[in-house]
Amino acid sequence: MKINKMYWLLLPGLLFLTVFMLIPIILTIGSTFVQEGKPTLEGYLYFFKDAYFNRILLTTLRVSVFTTVICIALGYPVAYYISRLGTRKKGILLALSIFPLLTSPVVRSFSWMIILGRKGLVNNALVATGIVDKPIEILYTPTAMIIGLVHLFLPLIIITLVGVMENVDSELIRAAESLGASRFTALRKVLFPLTIPGLIIGSVLVFVGSLTAYTTPALLGGKERVISTFLYQNAMTLNDWYLASVIATIMIVITLVVVGLMNKVATKLNPKG
Amino acid sequence: MTLLSLEQVSVAYDNHLILENFDLKLEEGKLLSLLGPSGCGKTTTLRLIAGFLEAKGGKFMFDGRDYTHLPVNKRNFGFVFQSYALFPHLSVYDNVAFGLRLRKMKEGQVKEKVLRMLDIVSLNGFEKRFPQELSGGQRQRVAIARALVIEPDLLLFDEPLSNLDANLRVTMRVEIRRLQQELGMTAVYVSHDQEECFSISDQVAIMNAGKIEQLGAPTDIYQYPKTEYVARFIGFNNFLVFDGTRQGNTGLEWTIGDYGFDVQLQAGQSTANTYKGAIRPEDLRIIPLGQLTDLQKSLSNQVPGTVKVSTYLGRSYQFEVQTALGAFTVNQEMDIPIAPGQQVMITFPADKIVMVAQ
Repeated sequence: MKINKMYWLLLPGLLFLTVFMLIPIILTIGSTFVQEGKPTLEGYLYFFKDAYFNRILLTTLRVSVFTTVICIALGYPVAYYISRLGTRKKGILLALSIFPLLTSPVVRSFSWMIILGRKGLVNNALVATGIVDKPIEILYTPTAMIIGLVHLFLPLIIITLVGVMENVDSELIRAAESLGASRFTALRKVLFPLTIPGLIIGSVLVFVGSLTAYTTPALLGGKERVISTFLYQNAMTLNDWYLASVIATIMIVITLVVVGLMNKVATKLNPKG
Repeated sequence: MTLLSLEQVSVAYDNHLILENFDLKLEEGKLLSLLGPSGCGKTTTLRLIAGFLEAKGGKFMFDGRDYTHLPVNKRNFGFVFQSYALFPHLSVYDNVAFGLRLRKMKEGQVKEKVLRMLDIVSLNGFEKRFPQELSGGQRQRVAIARALVIEPDLLLFDEPLSNLDANLRVTMRVEIRRLQQELGMTAVYVSHDQEECFSISDQVAIMNAGKIEQLGAPTDIYQYPKTEYVARFIGFNNFLVFDGTRQGNTGLEWTIGDYGFDVQLQAGQSTANTYKGAIRPEDLRIIPLGQLTDLQKSLSNQVPGTVKVSTYLGRSYQFEVQTALGAFTVNQEMDIPIAPGQQVMITFPADKIVMVAQ
């Protein structure tokens, strides 16, 4: 059978996505521009003028950026270490590193609440060692959200980077060293540029994931809101589906812009020139 | 002057000793080949010299200094990899400039050196290309240029031609030899290809199971292998296992049963404990038995036999001949081949039998 006659194989999936995803999204976005039968931008104007919402937007972006950066900083060396191991050890360490993904986000967040709380492990230790006089506020702050999200997304970036690093021939690092580069310089000038595509894919996954995450920020953020929890609040608690739709549209736009920008960067930095 | 010396070096990999108390010396300006089958330790030796591997024991001296624990990047050795190991994200120019820039050289000087080196390896005009846009031979030349441009104290080649096709291999090895001699470089070259090693080297070390079986000039090794292993490796397929000596017509003869063999010993070989003779297929002669007189039949250095297989090799025929002393392989140029089943006499020229240690 010719490949161009096999398009019908796509049909079931396409139908499903159209009915349950594409049409609802279009309807949601469309509804934000119409109120009482008239075209309007009121919802958006209201939001961007509102200091509270601006603060939420900023918190969300800050949390997402920090989570992404910390995930890269923590995940890159680990991924390099794992990628250089033999098949057996590599399998074991990869399985261990994706372990957080296998636990429920609710359970994971509750354990962080125990660790980070006023009488939690961290504060007890800090007070006991005399580093601080009284417990510091970690739980129910953006910091707690970042800690929870890093815990959630670190495996994702490690898996992505190990995949990319395995494809970098270790002879290249040796070649750089034989030409006079220290190990660090060799990694910086050879390994790093060759892993940029993986870094970008990983960053997009983590950033978008952090941007849209609900459970972790809801449980660890307390009164601190991010867009997703704010959306939930508007829809479920305040029953304001119009504003909820506006928030959803803003989230979609931010996601698309970020993915688009990262793609641009990826093409520009493509190591193959 | 001895530039490089490995003294009693041992290398282990996963607790498995690959080199044990290994010694090697190399004079300045010479090209030494390490030749042997895979697993013989030749690549390990090269990587040890490069600094990619750490010795478990022993000493590596270079130019009078102890290099045993010197890191790779401080050695200033050029390494040419079997896989070329060109940086895929850098252009040909940037690949070659890599080592110079690490030396904090000014861009103007870098440019001058890179362009001159690309000229030497005949790659002018390829500066902006990327490695994946080059053919295998071109990649190999970039790899050589990249290793040479840093003006290394020693050049190391790890089977650099094994990924090229046969014709290109011959061209490139001539090229490598020319560059090495023109620039007066000292080099260590690893290969499993005998012809390649013999054609470009000042010295060849034949390795087996982590030891050097024989080290010498290519012509010496080619003509006078010292051990059976080396002899087999370089194409001595026929062996005579002697059981004693006796006084023959022209002097001392080695014997196998009633057969007598006159043998010319090499300088330094004693008559005492040499009981194995090796000879190449092309040095044996065969004549149909019917063409010999009775007198000729009674001469020493001859064994009668039957042709079992005859194979056409292009320039010559190869015969498998079964004799009372075992099977022998004979390569001989002739117009009409001797048919299988015919009785023949094999002649072993005295000056072509090489006595080897077992």
